Amino acid sequence: MSEILDARGLSCPQPVLMTLEKIKQLGKGELTVRVDTQASRENVSRAVQKQGWTVEEIKEENDEFSLVVKKE
Amino acid sequence: MFSRFFKRKKPAKEQNKSGLSHGILVFDNTSEVIKAEKLIKEQGFCIKVKGPPPEIRTGCDLVIEFPLIEQLNIKRLLETNKVHVEQIIPVKDHLLKPVDLYSSRDYGDYLMVRAANMKITVEKASRTVVNISGGGCPDVPFLARELIGIKLGEGPQPRELGHTLCGYALELAYEEIKRLC
Repeated sequence: MSEILDARGLSCPQPVLMTLEKIKQLGKGELTVRVDTQASRENVSRAVQKQGWTVEEIKEENDEFSLVVKKE
Repeated sequence: MFSRFFKRKKPAKEQNKSGLSHGILVFDNTSEVIKAEKLIKEQGFCIKVKGPPPEIRTGCDLVIEFPLIEQLNIKRLLETNKVHVEQIIPVKDHLLKPVDLYSSRDYGDYLMVRAANMKITVEKASRTVVNISGGGCPDVPFLARELIGIKLGEGPQPRELGHTLCGYALELAYEEIKRLC
């Protein structure tokens, strides 16, 4: 079961910082990050990839994005 | 004994006779600002790139604040190098004060510095860039890709990578965060 991090309504760089803290805490596994801007979507994707995680899926609904990120 | 009661008030540093100490140079576009900043700094003048005062409605998003005492020298330098200055304005009241381009925010383990339209965030302990955001210029994703994960002072600087206003603003933010970290 994927953990969920809700970073909607937060401005940059907060969604990135929250995500970095969360993946540091998890170490590996699957995480769903919810954001509500295009910029946050790109910034979070970039940040997790730099940490060796992959973006498995990005779901878009009502101008919100759910990023499923994973590390084996 | 009474001398301390009659001490003359020291004049404020760097003020000229009219009480003005600084002026601002207003330019048509950002590339003129960048050219002028480089030229003036090379000559050793102490200047700062800032945001224009709200009352100034011409020119671009950046101005150069300079010591008024050097007005003639700086004007001559720019004329010689064919850099066009739109206006030279003495800063005489608070309405004409240029706006500081920088702001910073501490997020605990992380520090964010904003310069004009660009933000850079660094993990304090490792001095590693963790986020670049802002802008609206086409090179921002490229700048972010190149700089995230790099330690401050190691690897390329924004000015070597970007050539837009965002690249320039990011360079200012980068220098400021390097100073703070």
